[in-house]
Amino acid sequence: MAAPAHRMPAAGRPARDRQHARRADGYWWRLPATGLCFVVFGLGGLVLGMLILPFARFSTFDVSRRQRRARACVSAALAFFAGFMRGIGVLRYSFEGRERLGRPGQLIVANHPTLIDVIFLLGLLPQANCVVKAALFAHPVTRSALRSTGYITNNTADEMIHAAEDALRSGECLIMFPEGTRTTPDTAPRLHRGAANIALRGASVITPVFIRCIPPTLSKREPWYRIPFRRPMFILEVGADVDPAPYRAAPLPIGSRKLNDDLTSLFRDMGPMRNLPS
Amino acid sequence: MKTQEEIFGLVRDAIVELFELEPAQVTPQARFNEDLEIDSIDAVDLVDHLGRVFQRKVSPREFRNVRNVQDLVQTIDRLQQ
Repeated sequence: MAAPAHRMPAAGRPARDRQHARRADGYWWRLPATGLCFVVFGLGGLVLGMLILPFARFSTFDVSRRQRRARACVSAALAFFAGFMRGIGVLRYSFEGRERLGRPGQLIVANHPTLIDVIFLLGLLPQANCVVKAALFAHPVTRSALRSTGYITNNTADEMIHAAEDALRSGECLIMFPEGTRTTPDTAPRLHRGAANIALRGASVITPVFIRCIPPTLSKREPWYRIPFRRPMFILEVGADVDPAPYRAAPLPIGSRKLNDDLTSLFRDMGPMRNLPS
Repeated sequence: MKTQEEIFGLVRDAIVELFELEPAQVTPQARFNEDLEIDSIDAVDLVDHLGRVFQRKVSPREFRNVRNVQDLVQTIDRLQQ
């Protein structure tokens, strides 16, 4: 009689399943704690947007000071939330090379394996700008928090490109997830050309951030309660700077295609997440 | 004021320069998406470039219904009036 699938000897199964084979790292605590994190994020977003940010909004008539204050609030809240998630034990994270982020005119491009990648990046960079999915400007939890920050929406290509170009040229640091949406698990990232185009229009430097989550969690179409058997570890690693200058020799559409190809292979070289040791 | 032929010439030059296409490919009937493989991000570059060529601030909203090269030439012609 064949053994049930979950009893199969570990040796006969691929490495990925082996590390998922047993519930560990306080699974039965992490499950409700993960739910709690979603509640805390939702409430935090509402409190921030309705009680705290209105102070930033009405504290001054100077729009850019208003934005700086709002961004500092959002960033502090996200930094707190990252610490909260680590504190109650639903994840661990490490951030390598963070001192090279936040330079004027810097375009930060990151891959997007999970729902919460942006929390680590924005939490670290109090004044960074960020291209945010248009739907989040309409979402009840995030809407009011986002409106006062001056973050850029990806509503139309034209608006996004020009707003991002202006932000970089005025010396802001800008975070983008060029995949446009979370990476489909176990596939290589596919980058949209918008980020490369924006980089050539306005960035002083392009800095990739490679994000790994081991074992994978909070990926697309995964409900919150399907948590991994082991506590996930987020590893954020700042890559070497990419100089946009050589790509500016060609006309923008040609140069941005070349840059996008090169950025794509940078992210593909980091390898699919499942092949990494846990 | 430029004639439609002059506008077409400038538009063709711009497309050839930006996208490294052969001038023969840029016919009035050539469709941006299907024939010239110019997508929405390229379109932003092209509109910005034409704004510099014609020394006129243009809003991409005015180009929303442009599908082929002839549409673009007519839109520019209308804008200069």
